[in-house]
Amino acid sequence: MSIGSMLGDILKSFFKKPATEKYPFERYEPSQNLRGKLVYNPEKCSGCQLCIKDCPADAIELLVVDKANKRFVMRYHTDRCTFCGQCIESCRFECLNMTGEQWELASLKKEPFEVYYGRDEDIQFLLDRAAQPGTGEPCGGEGEGA
Amino acid sequence: MNNISLPPLVALLVFPGGLFLMALGLAYEYIDRKLVARFQNRLGPRWFQPLADLVKLLAKEEIIPDGVHRGLFIILPVIAVAGALTAALYTPLAGFMPAYSFPGDLVVTLYLLSVMTLSMGLAGANTADRFSLIGATRTLTQLFSYEAPFLLALLGPAIAAGSWQISTINLYAENNRWMIFTQPVGFIVAIIGLMGKLELPPFDAPEAETEIVAGALTEYSGRGYALFRLGKDIELVIGLTLVSAFYLGGLANPLEFLLKTLALLLVVAALQSLFARLRIDQTVGLWWRAGAILGLVQLAVIIAGSSWLRPLLFK
Amino acid sequence: MDLEPNKKFVVPIGPQHPALKEPGHFEFAVDGEIVTGATVRLGFVHRGIEKSAESRTYVQNLYLMERVCGICSHVHGTAFTIGVEHLAGVTVPPRANAIRVLVAELERIHSHMLWLGVAAHEGGFDTLFMYSWRDREKVMDILEEISGNRVHYSANVIGGVKFDISEEQRGKILSSLDFLEERTRHYLKVVNEDETFLGRTVGVGIMTREQAESLGAVGPTARASGVERDIRVDAPYAGYEQFPVRMITDTRGDLHARFVVRIEELFEAYRVIREILDHMPEGELTARVPRRIPAGETISRVEAPRGELLYYIKSNGTDMPERVKVRTPSLCNWGSITSVAVGHKLADMPMLLVGIDPCFSCNDRTITIKSAGVDLGWTWEDLRQHGIEAYR
Ligand code: SF4
Ligand code: SF4
Repeated sequence: MSIGSMLGDILKSFFKKPATEKYPFERYEPSQNLRGKLVYNPEKCSGCQLCIKDCPADAIELLVVDKANKRFVMRYHTDRCTFCGQCIESCRFECLNMTGEQWELASLKKEPFEVYYGRDEDIQFLLDRAAQPGTGEPCGGEGEGA
Repeated sequence: MNNISLPPLVALLVFPGGLFLMALGLAYEYIDRKLVARFQNRLGPRWFQPLADLVKLLAKEEIIPDGVHRGLFIILPVIAVAGALTAALYTPLAGFMPAYSFPGDLVVTLYLLSVMTLSMGLAGANTADRFSLIGATRTLTQLFSYEAPFLLALLGPAIAAGSWQISTINLYAENNRWMIFTQPVGFIVAIIGLMGKLELPPFDAPEAETEIVAGALTEYSGRGYALFRLGKDIELVIGLTLVSAFYLGGLANPLEFLLKTLALLLVVAALQSLFARLRIDQTVGLWWRAGAILGLVQLAVIIAGSSWLRPLLFK
Repeated sequence: MDLEPNKKFVVPIGPQHPALKEPGHFEFAVDGEIVTGATVRLGFVHRGIEKSAESRTYVQNLYLMERVCGICSHVHGTAFTIGVEHLAGVTVPPRANAIRVLVAELERIHSHMLWLGVAAHEGGFDTLFMYSWRDREKVMDILEEISGNRVHYSANVIGGVKFDISEEQRGKILSSLDFLEERTRHYLKVVNEDETFLGRTVGVGIMTREQAESLGAVGPTARASGVERDIRVDAPYAGYEQFPVRMITDTRGDLHARFVVRIEELFEAYRVIREILDHMPEGELTARVPRRIPAGETISRVEAPRGELLYYIKSNGTDMPERVKVRTPSLCNWGSITSVAVGHKLADMPMLLVGIDPCFSCNDRTITIKSAGVDLGWTWEDLRQHGIEAYR
């Protein structure tokens, strides 16, 4: 039985630096294993779409540019992703990975939430096609059924 | 103690009443919050936070709920602040002579300080809100329980000084041994009484947010709420001033005022962070069982001491 | 209990109230400060999770189920995978089982420390709240270090776990555990010795063993009343067979006993984690599980930080479950509040509420509406209409 058993704590804290993190002035150094933004490497991708099938949040889409030559573009919606890492687990060709550095993904605009991964010319090709009137979605119709 | 003579209007509106007191109140609220935060290993607010809160609240719409007496709802916060501001005129703020002083002003000051609590209780009882009603009941219950011990605790020095005038007691305290040493029990009761009066944790049952939201003030918003908060800040300053003037060897100059009241605030902040909240029945029990009896014993000793022992001790 | 609003002074707590971190509605009839009646109304955060599980694959459901609860996400995932693995007839490699237990115990530490803070806050002891949450960051850091996420660790995959524990991580965990153990010892002392805190907990909300049993209480709430009920001991799952835990019970049944039981469980968790790290079985992390799960039904039970968590899964042979039913521990413990509250002071209510460590969003799932004793079958349209009427 005692009164004020936390006296030691509060006296110590009085002379200590506060535990509060001063984000965003001081950036927290995350662990190397942090599951941050997803990255996709088109070189090894076989287009099997297993990652897309398993994603619980519909956060990734595979846009097919040329199926025979294995030219794919991945559209990744950072705002939908739950960072569960299932896609990485599902991919047998190790095309997908999560970065520990990029985790400050908040944005006031919508555009940064839509990320395209792939060879530059493929992305350009898709974006050009989307820009043409009447074609609508960049993936067109053929992307889906692949 | 310095004596300054100011035109009455200045004394009322700028110094020591009015603006100065409000600024001081906000500053002390900031220090209190910062200290509690540091004790809890947190960062705490920035220096302008209390002022920003006040300005924000004043700028907001005041919602007058259904089922209240409109006049009372509007006037009660004003009465509360007015009571606290008036009480300040009789206290040796910032180490200067009180602006007004007459024999017996101690009793008047104490009653003026209670006006604030009373208005809060009435404000709660005025609304139909259930949290407010319970808060009001608790506020008034607490008022009845701490008033007596706090009064007794401040009577000790008064009897020792043989006066009911705050400035005289202050003068006596300056010239004698610190009363925290001669009357330690009275000091403890006074500090706890002050915390109970201000409804600071652990005596914050009347506004326990996890039970009854904001207690008596639940329905208040905007201007009314701002005024009540301001009143509380002012009361904090006055309470600290009184206790340190009486028990910590008087307040002779502004520097002494700052040092002593801040030291007292440090203790009060530490006490705030040390305990779990007392239930209202525990608060009342503590007061009447411990506080009042201790205060009475102390008083008896002082009376005995000043009539029989003083000739022996101070000759 | 019947309330007659005209005669009694009823204090409503919730759905929006500073004491509640999630929406729920309680009505306490009071006489002065004394509570004379209590009712609970739940269902404000019904999210339709069970229904949506029926249109997702098992793999996707794993992540959906993790999101039933934000505090004990791992146990939900574990209960679901254990059920699915059982249906598929797959044995999980021992190393994966050990890692599942490791994460589950880390999660228990984080959940109990969170609870300690919340409970202290409800009792107006904000200093204890701040300190226990500050120290809880250590567990969160460990979880981030090993899994990559601080809240929804997603450690499980169907058939195993996602990550291994490296030697470097092992060192980090052990050093954090030392710190946590020392702090926990300190908190146990505070909880056991601080006079003001004891004043709020000892003898408050006593639930006898008989009451706990007849109300079907689970988890630390039941164990604090002397009911020996812990799935980790009664029906060991995952790695608990290899790394057994000791059941912590107390006989007093009051709030203080619940504090003590939960804090003692922390020590047990530290011990088990050390044990696992020292004797980590070698081997694979995952076993192959087919995408189509053979038809059948199963029940899996795990011990969540709040008590027994039960999953019922029915498979029809496709890659999507036909039915998933979740029964969370909080649901079993509500009864203890309404029956124990009467006779206590209003000021004790927040602590009593938080004493069972309630998780509102977890338990708000299906509701059956009964009218005059007749169980009415509701169609989708009826439900929709009811929703519109109820919230008008
Ligand atoms: S991390 Fe999870 S949610 Fe994000 S893309 Fe991969 S599978 Fe989808
Ligand atoms: S699972 Fe891998 S290989 Fe298959 S589509 Fe996805 S990224 Fe490409």
